[in-house]
Amino acid sequence: MSEQGDWARWLSEAQAGNRRSYEALLRAALPWLRGMARRRFPWADAAEAEAMVQDTLLALHRNLHLYDPGRPAEPFLLGILKLRGADRRRMRARHQVRETPLDDVPVTSMALATKETQEVAIDAGRVSSAVGALPPRDREILEMLKLREMSLAETSAATGMSVGALKVATFRAIRRLRAKLGVTDEE
Amino acid sequence: MRSEDLITSLAQDLGAVRPLPSPARLLAVWLGVSVPVLAAITLMMGPRPDLAGKCGEAGFVISQGLGVVTAVVSAYAAFCAGRPDQPGWKLWAPMLAMLVWLGDLGRQCAVVSLQDAGGVLRLQLDPMCVPAIVIAGVIPAGLIVALMRRSATFRRDHACLCGALAAGAAADVALRLFHGSVNIATLLLWQMGSVMLFTSTAWFISSTILRNVARAPRRRQLAG
Repeated sequence: MSEQGDWARWLSEAQAGNRRSYEALLRAALPWLRGMARRRFPWADAAEAEAMVQDTLLALHRNLHLYDPGRPAEPFLLGILKLRGADRRRMRARHQVRETPLDDVPVTSMALATKETQEVAIDAGRVSSAVGALPPRDREILEMLKLREMSLAETSAATGMSVGALKVATFRAIRRLRAKLGVTDEE
Repeated sequence: MRSEDLITSLAQDLGAVRPLPSPARLLAVWLGVSVPVLAAITLMMGPRPDLAGKCGEAGFVISQGLGVVTAVVSAYAAFCAGRPDQPGWKLWAPMLAMLVWLGDLGRQCAVVSLQDAGGVLRLQLDPMCVPAIVIAGVIPAGLIVALMRRSATFRRDHACLCGALAAGAAADVALRLFHGSVNIATLLLWQMGSVMLFTSTAWFISSTILRNVARAPRRRQLAG
């Protein structure tokens, strides 16, 4: 490849701080690195191969001082790609040991729960966020009557509503809460 | 992040860097400091009384020569290991040199034991070897770590192993100039055992030091 003759020059100019040469080198080397990553690491999918190329660019940036200006640039870039690819392969192997395939486990299975009380906590969280989404008046009535377990008379005194109006408001607040939770009347 | 965007930001972040000297040049620096230091240690400890006679023995000269080759090849490999464009055979050459060196000592041990009907294999305590190797090896080991600190990103463990082996081999070459073993089996066990112990300890310590050196700029970047 004739343009690769420029790569060594661009790389030594980059060592001297020339940003244009550095950018020209990286842009010219990018498709070459992508091709090399696909060829050298056939096990890697497209995202992983691109991650390897980006690791290579970052490693090159941090180790520009290691390049010997008298030597060709391609073995230097390829060497970094091979070392970073090997790092990724080791990391992938380490992660695979710790991973558990979930394909055979039903979505509703309690096997996925890490704590026995997890389901209760999830339900409480859903109710709490649904209550938070109600109008302030509904929230206040439900909190007094259902959470603090105050009597109708006490709630009536606290809110200034008549007991009858309070009953109607409570009924409507619960209906709105059920709607927020996605619970239909048939359930 | 797209690779094209990454390239733009890397180019904006570029600053001038000073290229690292070549491995051959670093090797010359290491030898230029280590050889006078080892010579001074040998003079301070006092050369062994039979040194002149030993220098006429082919076995001693070959074994010392192989020790020197192992030290030089290992140091060169240590300086090459951190560079991504160096071929693999350079990195594994020290293992071959060490095997030849150990093999020659083993061969000498076997030959002498056959001539001496096994008497030469009687092991004797020679605990002086361990501190002597440490005294002789600590400066070459420290120097090689200092010279490798800027190339500690790639193949760090391999570089540290080669560097530790270089310092251990150089220390053993010096040790045999001021400390003699009673027989070849004692030499093989105590001196080479000390070299191996020194190499593995220095490998661990240098690897830890260089890992911290490599992390330090990243920590500074994150803090900044």
